[in-house]
Amino acid sequence: MAEQILMPKLGNSVEECLITEWLKNEGDTIAVGDIICTVETDKAAVDVEASAAGVILKILYPEGEEVPVLNPIVIVGKQGEDIGNLIVTMEKNVDTLVPHDASNETKSVPSVVTPGPGDVLFETEPAPVSMGTKSESGFSSPRARNLASAEGVDLSVLSGTGPSGRIIERDVLSLSSVNAPASAAAIEKMLSSGGIRPAVGSGIGGRVLSSDIISTPVSSNVTLDAETKEIPVKGVRKIISDLMLKSLTTSAQLTLNSSANAENLLKLRKRLKNSSDTLGLKRISVNDLVMFAVVRTLKDYPELNAHFLGDKIIQYGNVNLGIAVDTERGLMVPVVKNVENLSLKEFADGNRAVYDRISSNTILPDELTGATFTVTNLGGLGIESFTPVLNIPEVAILGVNNIQLKPVKKDGEVVFESFIGLSLTFNHQALDGAPGARFLQSLSRNIKDIDLLIAL
Amino acid sequence: MYDIIIIGAGPGGYVAAERAGKMGKSVLIVEKDQLGGVCLNRGCIPTKTLLNSGKLYKQAKNSAPYGVHAGNVSFNWEEAMSWKNEVVKTQRNGVSFLMNENKVEVLKGFAELLEGKKVSVNGKIYEGDSIIISTGSAPFIPSVPGADGANVLTSDEILDLEKLPESLAVIGGGVIGMEFASLFSNLGIKVDVVEMMEEILPMMDKGHARVMRREMKGINFHLSSQLLKIDGKKLTYLSSGKEESLEADLVLMAVGRRSNTQGLEETGLDIHKGKIVVNEKMETNLPGIYAVGDVTGLSMLAHSASRMGEVAVNCICGVQDRMRYNAVPWAVYTSPEAAGCGLTESDAAAVGRKVKTASVLMKHNGRFLAEHGKSAAGTCKVVVDAETDILLGVHLLGGISSELVAGAAAMIESELRVNEIKQIIFPHPSLSEVIRDAVWAIV
Repeated sequence: MAEQILMPKLGNSVEECLITEWLKNEGDTIAVGDIICTVETDKAAVDVEASAAGVILKILYPEGEEVPVLNPIVIVGKQGEDIGNLIVTMEKNVDTLVPHDASNETKSVPSVVTPGPGDVLFETEPAPVSMGTKSESGFSSPRARNLASAEGVDLSVLSGTGPSGRIIERDVLSLSSVNAPASAAAIEKMLSSGGIRPAVGSGIGGRVLSSDIISTPVSSNVTLDAETKEIPVKGVRKIISDLMLKSLTTSAQLTLNSSANAENLLKLRKRLKNSSDTLGLKRISVNDLVMFAVVRTLKDYPELNAHFLGDKIIQYGNVNLGIAVDTERGLMVPVVKNVENLSLKEFADGNRAVYDRISSNTILPDELTGATFTVTNLGGLGIESFTPVLNIPEVAILGVNNIQLKPVKKDGEVVFESFIGLSLTFNHQALDGAPGARFLQSLSRNIKDIDLLIAL
Repeated sequence: MYDIIIIGAGPGGYVAAERAGKMGKSVLIVEKDQLGGVCLNRGCIPTKTLLNSGKLYKQAKNSAPYGVHAGNVSFNWEEAMSWKNEVVKTQRNGVSFLMNENKVEVLKGFAELLEGKKVSVNGKIYEGDSIIISTGSAPFIPSVPGADGANVLTSDEILDLEKLPESLAVIGGGVIGMEFASLFSNLGIKVDVVEMMEEILPMMDKGHARVMRREMKGINFHLSSQLLKIDGKKLTYLSSGKEESLEADLVLMAVGRRSNTQGLEETGLDIHKGKIVVNEKMETNLPGIYAVGDVTGLSMLAHSASRMGEVAVNCICGVQDRMRYNAVPWAVYTSPEAAGCGLTESDAAAVGRKVKTASVLMKHNGRFLAEHGKSAAGTCKVVVDAETDILLGVHLLGGISSELVAGAAAMIESELRVNEIKQIIFPHPSLSEVIRDAVWAIV
């Protein structure tokens, strides 16, 4: 009896996932627990494990397709089993998504009708979309919203083919592609020259012609004798790429640089390292200590522990700290929540558990969201100062730099003491330089007196 | 107050009026002469009607090879003219019907363009949200001594000719000149063509133009010749630095047409060398005022005017549209016929575009052979981009070429490439197959 493998629900807020890569093909034999594909949400890329064993009889959605959670994505059974009935049943149950033949290249495009002097642009089967009627659920996926704003598409005129009539990414894609068909010659030119496809061309019906393609090659002109490697931008890389660009282009960020006297911090670190095993304090790191100081300082500076949402700023009473971690899959920012009142040990243990989950790739999407403030540490790599990029909508992010000796005047003499560099980026839309500087000053003081801070 | 006021009811104006009326706009069209403009009354329609009569006469006289023996074939100019008038009248009634059907108000009179999108006709003022100027063009008469003589006619007057001349001199080897030359030659009249340039019909493939001249056996061609003066029946012209002369009963002045921008010079319209300047949406420099057809000097053909009129109306109604000029088909209804669409080899060379070409002879085509015999002239040449294989031009001489170019226009507009055109099915037996054969001949 054939079984279905469903798109897993990866978090409370996750409604659909995009299939980024199929790691198995139709006809492959799989066991329970085999990774069959990777999917991504707005925050993370995750491997999907097979929940059933057997031969993959049908892959229901191709790469690049967005599928609502808990919908079947794969049918598994015995070799040669007839699954015709199963697909028919599924078609009736899955309200608006049409299962694809994975080998069939053409997507089913919603039909679009333009209002105005009877100007029908393009019509195919099957899912009905009509312009001029608001989508039933009145909302859209974050991916669809992002694409719509990038393409200049007005979402309010679309109905969606996602669950409950939600507008999903492909609804926006179909609208923007329907508006300007391109001649085969133009498409070939675009592909070979890397030229930009305009929204509308000069040909019949707005057809894009090859003469409309401005060929500014986006591909590299560099020819090397050594082997070059081409890496597709997808998964975590794509998520970071989009987020970083969005952060820099939609906020007014700037960075304040300072340093804190780290003498006491280093002394404390040494004592913790040499402490008895039973206390469980040995693995508390410099970073743990700095972050502990950050968390405690934030309690007094709610304006740094906030989100900027355009028309309002939300200041949070609790601190959810995002910790930037460099992994082989790229930058990830797990979040430890409600840490403002934890002891140093509780805080460090919590951090350690999260790092372990990151390295074993068992981190959940919910653990990668919800930060009120982020810390990113490049000190271990010799960085003296940098301009960390905001993890929007957070209003601030602290970059931790390396420890350097600086001259200080002490008892009439000049001596060298260790200072740790701090680079605070903040969103000037939400707060101004002085409060940012005051926070940094307070943080410096707290780091300088970390041995007293842990008593509070 | 009207949504659109259209000045001139030729193929640019009346088509615009028809489309606008159909889209629910209130339209006023002003015409100083007759509905249909030059095309219907003194151009396309009457000439093709007469040319057909001439061709039938010629065919009847040469039908023996096909088993047809028509004795005593004669041509009656009066009757041919009568039929021509009947056709013109019927077509004109048709335009009138179209205007009624689309609730377009027709006003007879000369429209003077005033400020603020107003026009004055017969002393009354009318206002429009948008204005389309489609005043067309008129034959250009050069200032050559004797050009105002009684025996010197333009295409306007020659279409009202009462009696056939003994001999005709046509000044100008363009489309209009060549069609009249061909008509009168078919009727057995001695014809001389005096052309300033090195070749007739400048839009034609150079090789085809040469063949056409060769085929027009009854016509004497004087190329690279500049008319100096007309003195009664004697014409003097300059050829290779020498003065030559010829005699002709009647002279047809067909050296070109000038756009009708008289009276528009003081309106603030951007007029360059006597033509109204427009963009691809047919907009002039004045907001809400459009110009289409011959008055713009761009692609002076009736079908271009009609398309321009549609573009203007679409833009007024908020429908995305623009005029394109790369695939405007043209046809010359001479014997033999010629037609084309897109770039010629020399056009491409002039802009430094690398092309490949291939030609096929029409006599290898079954239908052509059956209907025209073994020695009739006919060629089809295709011009293709050397790198991308995109079809750039199709040029035809012979047979019913004029009917084949619409297909070529569709292919060129779509940027179809050689391998794609090879997948289109052409009917057999038809002359259109020569296009397919020529495409297959591309290496």
